[in-house]
Amino acid sequence: MEFHFAKAFKTLGPSLLDGIGIVVFITLIGFLCSLIVALLLAIGRLSKKKPVTVTLSLFIELIRGTPLLVQFFYIYYVVPMLINGIALSFGHQTNVRLSAVTCGIIGFAINYGCYMSEVIRAAILSIDPGQREAGLALGFSEKQVMFRFIIPPALRNSVPVFGNYLVMMIKDTSLLAMITVEELLLRTKTYASQTFLTVEAFTILALVYLVISIPLSQLSKVVERKLKQGR
Amino acid sequence: MAMLDITNLSKLFGDLEVLKDINLSVKKGEVVVIIGPSGSGKSTLLRCINLLEQPTGGEIYYQDEDITKLGKYVTDYRKHVGMVFQRFNLFPLKTVLGNVMYAPMKLNKVQKPEAQKLAMDLLTKVGLESKAFSYPSSLSGGQQQRVAIARALAMQPDMLLFDEPTSALDPELVGDVLEVMKKLAGEGMTMVVVTHEMGFAKEVADRVIFMDGGYVVETGTPAEIFSNPKNERTRAFLTRVL
Repeated sequence: MEFHFAKAFKTLGPSLLDGIGIVVFITLIGFLCSLIVALLLAIGRLSKKKPVTVTLSLFIELIRGTPLLVQFFYIYYVVPMLINGIALSFGHQTNVRLSAVTCGIIGFAINYGCYMSEVIRAAILSIDPGQREAGLALGFSEKQVMFRFIIPPALRNSVPVFGNYLVMMIKDTSLLAMITVEELLLRTKTYASQTFLTVEAFTILALVYLVISIPLSQLSKVVERKLKQGR
Repeated sequence: MAMLDITNLSKLFGDLEVLKDINLSVKKGEVVVIIGPSGSGKSTLLRCINLLEQPTGGEIYYQDEDITKLGKYVTDYRKHVGMVFQRFNLFPLKTVLGNVMYAPMKLNKVQKPEAQKLAMDLLTKVGLESKAFSYPSSLSGGQQQRVAIARALAMQPDMLLFDEPTSALDPELVGDVLEVMKKLAGEGMTMVVVTHEMGFAKEVADRVIFMDGGYVVETGTPAEIFSNPKNERTRAFLTRVL
């Protein structure tokens, strides 16, 4: 068996570089959105209103109980059909379509938002109740206490876990190949089927993922250490 | 005139009655020390005074206003009543200075340089000006508690509540905290102190209240309570702790 890594690298490389741009873009936006979703869900689930907490827990269970890939398919194929169908039943002809990248970002925001909301919720609950009492005793309102004295340290304590999720999200972008996003996997697959350099192409692909994720997980370890030293 | 007037106060946790028909008034400038065995309701009474616990029944008048009916305006009342906790509860992500100056800046809209100066003055008062830029975790318990006192003072309260301020401290650190409290009492600060420090009660209190089983069992001057307790339970408690 003969390998042509140099050739594969030369021809596949530039295409993968473009793919990395898309992966980084989706991950950055997706991660920011998922953080916002997570924070909102976590605060909502700590509400004293039963209907709110029940609805949100059901939603989180629904998302965590179905595969991310299925959710991508659902958002990309099913949701536009549902919207158009419902509009039609009200007598409006619509042609809603979501771009694959948008669907990817929405999917990540919801899916990762649900997982990370549990992290934030646990972190909020682990903050010493004395912090709340100290804030209240000074004259801050419950809401001020939450946003000034509870959430900041809770988010800070969650940073190491967020780091793991960020690395996971980068790898999960490969699922987006299935809904036509031209990320790394789809580009590699196309290249392999055109050139039959299957071994070379997929080996290079795996290495590219490693090159992205290893520095990131090292970085998150450094951040974690810095935060520990901080106080 | 009484600054604080508590009438027929009761508090239930589920079926458990922790406070029963408490009547107590505190005059301006008075130092009231509450003593009693664990579970007697002293801390709960103190926490009811700034509504960290909502009383089940009775009224608490602060300058002739019933604070149990304030609703969301309770935050305005709390600005006038500082509280010092057993476990300090400093904000760990803020420096010592930040802990002290934060509330006046955010709640009273004091400008930063002014708040900083106020905070430094208070830290000097509690003997910790050299720790202004340290974080709470690098301080001893006694130092943290003195910062907590400075933080409460920064809101320029009319009254201070102390919930067992020295119970979480190593014995050799208790003295510094009590010194600061004595200084405050000397300056005429109105104080309600829950403590097990009988020496402090004897020396500083204008009035000592003995609580047991959710009741105020006996009230009197330190001399009356410590030298000549009228109630059997007070006597039994004091023999055990003195």
